[in-house]
Amino acid sequence: MNLMPPPSITYVLLVIATGIFMVSSIQYFLRLLRDPSIPDMVLAIDLLAYDLSVLMVLLSILSSSPYLAIGALPLILWTYLLNIYVSRYLVKRGSGE
Amino acid sequence: MLFSLVKAIAYYIGMALLIGGGILDLMASIGLSRFKSFCLRLHVATVGAIGGTLYPLIGLGLLSLSIDQLGISRYYIAGIAFTTALFLAITAPSGAHALAQSTYKSRTVLPEPITTDQIMEEGERGVNG
Repeated sequence: MNLMPPPSITYVLLVIATGIFMVSSIQYFLRLLRDPSIPDMVLAIDLLAYDLSVLMVLLSILSSSPYLAIGALPLILWTYLLNIYVSRYLVKRGSGE
Repeated sequence: MLFSLVKAIAYYIGMALLIGGGILDLMASIGLSRFKSFCLRLHVATVGAIGGTLYPLIGLGLLSLSIDQLGISRYYIAGIAFTTALFLAITAPSGAHALAQSTYKSRTVLPEPITTDQIMEEGERGVNG
């Protein structure tokens, strides 16, 4: 007994998920372009990078190749570094150093 | 029989996490442009990070393990997805906390809406030096 759906349905569902994440990414990018304050820009970049990491893994499944997914982990860690760096910059700027 | 049942369960859970996470991410992207203040948008960013990224990554790991057409590369993809999800669960909350703390300390963004500010009250009383 085969409980799995046919590969064509899996493919369609993965493409739908890719579309949803792409629409979200575009909204984050528009937010990044039109927002003037630094913390909001960092927030938008964070979410854009998180979306991009999911898209990388999704596309690597769709293309049956693991090489594209390798970039997801450094992207997440880079985002964390960006958060910490901007936080330190804001605190230094606020204290007048 | 048991193996195919486990594989099918992993597939359906993975697909549900992926699609549900996509919907949460879409809601977070709408909220990020609609909410008024930075502190409210920080809550939306948590929905986008945990609901819109952590759940889909776990779902993608489960999905890739259950799809036979991927061959041997499914183990690589699942490993990368689970490791990324683990690091995201560690780094996303601490990064958001660091950003919130720095904006509060530097007064870059005023915390609104706010009913009581205990950090400022304790600072005025000299509790934390």
